Amino acid sequence: MLMQLGLTRGLIYQAAGTVLGMVVAMVWRLLAGMELWDQEVVFVVGGLVGGFSFMWGVGAIDDWLEWCRGKATPLVHGPPRDKPAWTRYFSTDYNHKVIGIQYSVTSLLMLMIGGSFALIFRAELAQADLQFLGIGMYNKLIGLHGWAVIAAILLGVGGMANYLVPLMIGAEDMAFPRLNAFAFWINVPGALLLLASAFLGGFDAGWTAYPPLSTQGSVGYQFLFLAIYFVGLSSILGSLNLLVTILTMRPKGMDLFRIPIFCWAVLATSLIQLTATQAIGTAFLMGLSERALGMGFFDPEGGGNPILFQHIFWFYSHPAVYVFVLPGLGIISELLPVFSRKPLFGYRWIALSSLAIALVGFLVWGHHMFTSGYSQYLRIPFMIATLLVAVPTGVKFFSWVATMWGGRLRFPTPMLFTLGAISVFLLGGLTGPILATVASDLYLHDTYFVVGHFHATLFGGFVFPFCAAIYFWFPKITGRMYNETLGKLHFYIMTPAFWLMSIGQMTVGTMGMRRRIVDYDPTLGGGLIEARHLETTIAAFLIGLSILIMIYNLVTSAEIGVRAPANPWRSRSPEWQIPSPVPEHSFAAPLQVVGEPYDYGLEEEYVVMDESQAGHTQAH
Amino acid sequence: MRSNYRRHFLYAGILVVVFTLVIQWILDLSLPLPAIQGSAQSAAIDNLIGQHVWLIAGAGALVLVIMGYSIVAFRARPGEEDEEGDYFHGHYGLEIAWTVIPLIVVAIYGVIGTQVLAQVTAPQDNEMTVEVEGLQWSWRFAYPGHGEFQTTEMVVPVNQPLLLSMSAVDVLHSFWVVEWRVKQDLVPGIVTELRVTPTEVGEFQLRCAELCGLRHAYMLADVRVVLQEDFDAWINEQLE
Repeated sequence: MLMQLGLTRGLIYQAAGTVLGMVVAMVWRLLAGMELWDQEVVFVVGGLVGGFSFMWGVGAIDDWLEWCRGKATPLVHGPPRDKPAWTRYFSTDYNHKVIGIQYSVTSLLMLMIGGSFALIFRAELAQADLQFLGIGMYNKLIGLHGWAVIAAILLGVGGMANYLVPLMIGAEDMAFPRLNAFAFWINVPGALLLLASAFLGGFDAGWTAYPPLSTQGSVGYQFLFLAIYFVGLSSILGSLNLLVTILTMRPKGMDLFRIPIFCWAVLATSLIQLTATQAIGTAFLMGLSERALGMGFFDPEGGGNPILFQHIFWFYSHPAVYVFVLPGLGIISELLPVFSRKPLFGYRWIALSSLAIALVGFLVWGHHMFTSGYSQYLRIPFMIATLLVAVPTGVKFFSWVATMWGGRLRFPTPMLFTLGAISVFLLGGLTGPILATVASDLYLHDTYFVVGHFHATLFGGFVFPFCAAIYFWFPKITGRMYNETLGKLHFYIMTPAFWLMSIGQMTVGTMGMRRRIVDYDPTLGGGLIEARHLETTIAAFLIGLSILIMIYNLVTSAEIGVRAPANPWRSRSPEWQIPSPVPEHSFAAPLQVVGEPYDYGLEEEYVVMDESQAGHTQAH
Repeated sequence: MRSNYRRHFLYAGILVVVFTLVIQWILDLSLPLPAIQGSAQSAAIDNLIGQHVWLIAGAGALVLVIMGYSIVAFRARPGEEDEEGDYFHGHYGLEIAWTVIPLIVVAIYGVIGTQVLAQVTAPQDNEMTVEVEGLQWSWRFAYPGHGEFQTTEMVVPVNQPLLLSMSAVDVLHSFWVVEWRVKQDLVPGIVTELRVTPTEVGEFQLRCAELCGLRHAYMLADVRVVLQEDFDAWINEQLE
């Protein structure tokens, strides 16, 4: 049975491919008259070959290989005929709904793995001095936590976008279904390489992997660099697919200002992913080749400059923050009108503010480097550009509260998480300008205040909206309702706990706590710093507990939950006009747009199905 | 319905003002800066942070209050389960206002930020140069013009403008004395500069603020700010 799963084959192929790659590298070195063993080169070749072997084993490139042989392969939709239906979730499947679930479940898994790393070192930080965690282990866990949750967030973003975009625009599937499957599965060898790096000495420079520390550390860095290469490739291919889908596959009457607002967020996100991801690829490729081939990009001895890495790294990694949060902000805009029973206030402004954030996001990377030692005067344009981000972000906040104003608000779990998301993202957003202003950043940079700030942005911009989205679309995905009591319990534990944790992090930061230290001076903050750290640790564990409650809720409700009607939220969006769970071919007939997406309070529909064309499906 | 909004706006407006003060008070308690303002730069930076806290309080209250007010005032009451909200989907005046006003606020903070930056980085006459060298995981200091010696603790005279000329031997480090507020990275292959004028006599700690490997958390050095005559005596001691 296990061998019938693409995943199992992929894992075996990856293990075999890694060994094969290592052997090839060693033989090649021997033939070239070099020493047999050079761990940098051998592990890089092994990791690379292993990763692509996984793709072969899982079956993500089968069709393309057939095409190379000149055979046409039809796009098969539907569960596998000779195997149980559930196996499709563990194998290559071209249905965007399956791929969306694959992304989302992998995201939750990585989120829990990454979160567990945090709980380990959070426990260590509950008290000053060293307790149970060694210094070296601490320095490795922080970077691993960072990248595991970043991978989780990228997966979650991919999950929401892949599941929802085709349904929201009434498309049969994504524009390139095979590419879609490839873009998901390439994350798996990426995630495995990332976690495997821990067994090769890990990486001890934090997630930012600044050289020269990163070019001197253990060979685990090479697996990190390769892992991000695979995950980044997924970003680029996935965003391309989403852009083409949104721009070319909309039904009759759905002009760009009539698509569900989440699709605007995905559009802006995809533009960033398609154009910025290459930068981190470049930065990490330079790091990889400096280590493996002795090139001197960042080494002053070889004519290089360590600050160069930071520029290239942040040219991706700042816009990437908007990749993490824009889809979540889209979810907020999507859900508020449904539960306020009111049109979205200022649709065009919200839509264009996403594009504005994406654009300005490319001009602000220098604010991560105010103390790095680049030209002093350049700090001022970077400060101004960063402060400008507040304007389109403000437009979103004001439009949200104006959407609620005058509504008839109801508060099931998805709405609660939407409101939680607004409040938490507000905390993250408002603590931005203080860091964007150079002089105050000279104090706050590399302190725990920054840690508090970006955890608030990422929880408010991703984790809370992701939870809202999961609860909201759970009935559509599974055909059953989640347990409302457990959902609310999750919310009422996680939200106060998060506020306590995030503000606690900011508090110790202003007291003078540096980032990325295993041990701190207990006399800081007038001796109160330890108490604040203890509270922060307790809060972090409560967040972990609440996530477990959600997982329990989702797993049990999928089995025993009450049968969900087609449209339990009385939403106007297309995906709610079809049965729950969504049938294999989502729409029985092509959609036609006849109204506005968020005209709650009006009788007329947003979309109708063109029954005269029932049974007609788009060809790929 | 619309006529009622005037009353709602009034109540919400009052609450925004009240909550601005409440949030400002909470933030003041939650974001305690070190009590000692140990350098000429500290007060300017603390003031700037204080101004930002007001911005956070004001903007935070605006959004949170209107959100909270809507949750209470516009919730679907029992019997209203099937009712829809009021139908309106935009207002040009408001939308332009909440784009233009933040733009103005941003411009103001940009100007203030630039001025404070100019103030805390301005070169002074009679600066004394101290050479700072960071290496895994310790600090070295030299005092050009005062003799050929290196120390592992930093001793400087009070009220003397300092120009720290800094370099790293191996990896990135960052110079940070909490009481002095300002911070600057040390980069291999490059000399970076930091200007600071200590104004408080006392013993402080220099902490590395850029992850630099295993013992980063413990990359500390003692910093002593002393009176000019004590500094001169200390220099003579070093030269002996």
